[in-house]
Amino acid sequence: MKLSILFGGASFEHEISIVSAITLKEKLQAFDLNFIFCDSDHSFYLIDASAMKATTFSKGNHKKMPLLTLSNGGFVQKSMFSSTEHKEVVLNLIHGADGEDGTIAALLDFYNIRYIGPRTDASIFSYDKRYTKYLCEARGIKTVKYETQYINEHKNLSLEYPIIVKPASLGSSIGVSIVKEESKLDYALDTAFEYDTNVLIEPFIDGVKEYNLAGFYADGAFHFSIVEEPQKEEFLDFEKKYMDFSRVEQVLKADISDELRVKLESSFEKVYRGMFEGALIRCDFFVINNQVYLNEINPIPGSMANYLFEDFPSSIELLSLSLPNKNKPKVTYEYIHSISSAKGK
Amino acid sequence: MAVKSIQYKQDTFTISYEIVNPNASVDLMILHGWGSNKNLMKQSFSPFMSGFRHIYIDLPGFGNSTCNVALTTQDVARIVELFMVNINASKDIVLGHSFGGKVALLLEPKVLVLVASAGIYVEKSLKVKTKIFLFKTLKIFGLSKFRSLFVADDAKELSEEMYQTFKNVVNEDFSEKFQVYKGKALLCWGKDDTATPLSSARKIETLIDDSQLEVYSGDHYFFMKNAEDIAQKIEKRFLETLGK
Repeated sequence: MKLSILFGGASFEHEISIVSAITLKEKLQAFDLNFIFCDSDHSFYLIDASAMKATTFSKGNHKKMPLLTLSNGGFVQKSMFSSTEHKEVVLNLIHGADGEDGTIAALLDFYNIRYIGPRTDASIFSYDKRYTKYLCEARGIKTVKYETQYINEHKNLSLEYPIIVKPASLGSSIGVSIVKEESKLDYALDTAFEYDTNVLIEPFIDGVKEYNLAGFYADGAFHFSIVEEPQKEEFLDFEKKYMDFSRVEQVLKADISDELRVKLESSFEKVYRGMFEGALIRCDFFVINNQVYLNEINPIPGSMANYLFEDFPSSIELLSLSLPNKNKPKVTYEYIHSISSAKGK
Repeated sequence: MAVKSIQYKQDTFTISYEIVNPNASVDLMILHGWGSNKNLMKQSFSPFMSGFRHIYIDLPGFGNSTCNVALTTQDVARIVELFMVNINASKDIVLGHSFGGKVALLLEPKVLVLVASAGIYVEKSLKVKTKIFLFKTLKIFGLSKFRSLFVADDAKELSEEMYQTFKNVVNEDFSEKFQVYKGKALLCWGKDDTATPLSSARKIETLIDDSQLEVYSGDHYFFMKNAEDIAQKIEKRFLETLGK
């Protein structure tokens, strides 16, 4: 099948997105892939498959490749006398800002481009970890307790140490620190504020059981990945997560009971239903005293969490055939016509 | 990396910084030169001196730190000082490269490490003098649009504020300030430095009572290849302060 992979973006996770795209090139070899790079200045380039290497971008060689613009239904490549349209389904693989904050979703919707990825509302609720808490509260999903801090207004914390400090709106562990004593809190907050004006603080639970589950809804049913128990040394820092993306081996299935698996899947469904349709997402859960807590939602997981799926290419194909249709109002001018005829004009 | 907002004279400066070895009890503040940033300094020095808490900062207007007004070296030093108070850092050791050296001096630390520091006025070469004369003449004829052909590399592509700051800080003579400094100084210089020549180091050595000069091969950025040796010299110099 044909698929355009959209990656890059004006995001702190720009480079991770490049790594993700390179990984998918390998994982979806049977597909007819286009690579569309969104530069940090928001120009789009059509990248030749043979140039899909990290250095193409770090050296700026992508700038020599064809520029793309948007038009109704797809990306357009204009040359002197002709233009080529790329109307295939887009896989939004831009991590962090642009890709996961709803910007790209809105842009693609506006141009009626069909895409795999979270829609705007789903983006809003997963991009900012505070809103994920609100979503969980509304949908009866457990999360660990939290407090927030705003850059210009430090409040006293009532959580006990150790705590984990996170920028409200980033993935990939960027800007995240574990704080064991008050004297180290200030630096942890400053570190998080480098990335976001809002910060989320949660208790850090040493040795908590963590499980990741990816999935999507297509063809009338949920399709889940295996459950992964991520390796951790306290927590995954940026570098480790980064390395994580490019891993090729499939991870080992977590050794859990069917009962727990059902619990995880039902929590996933509660999060997903009526909001994340069209996206393949990964939910990261904690299990404390046999209770499932949602930690975070990754609406565009690193390299699409391909390593968790037994048949990743078929999963992407299935999802691409089940994308939600945007309900477009028909403009008929009926109202204006009716007024005009009433006036007898 | 991290950021801290500093209020100074009605302006807010966002200072980007990074701490290495957060649990060490002796503070080592590291200041970069004009046009540079903390990453360059961190690359060189962070592998060494594990007994010190390293604080790398981007000076206002450089790297990820902001600056919307023209500043003098005094202003920059005051902002760095306020920042240090804010993060509870003491002036045990302050290292400054080039322009950062002048800022370091104004902070009056216990141990002052000047790495190819600015602050000694060097007579302009005939070539530069001619360029200035030519440009001033052109200006009379309204031809200042050729400015870019004449300005120093360090001043190219600067914002209005930073260009003003540049004019404020370049060519300053700190001889008197070096003379009144009463702490321990370690001067590290590249012998082929053309920006801040070795002659400046020799002069500073005579101005500061308790100073020690180490000369390395290399130019204005010699420290990048000599960081380990410089680090050992700094540790040694710091240990001397504990004896008393």
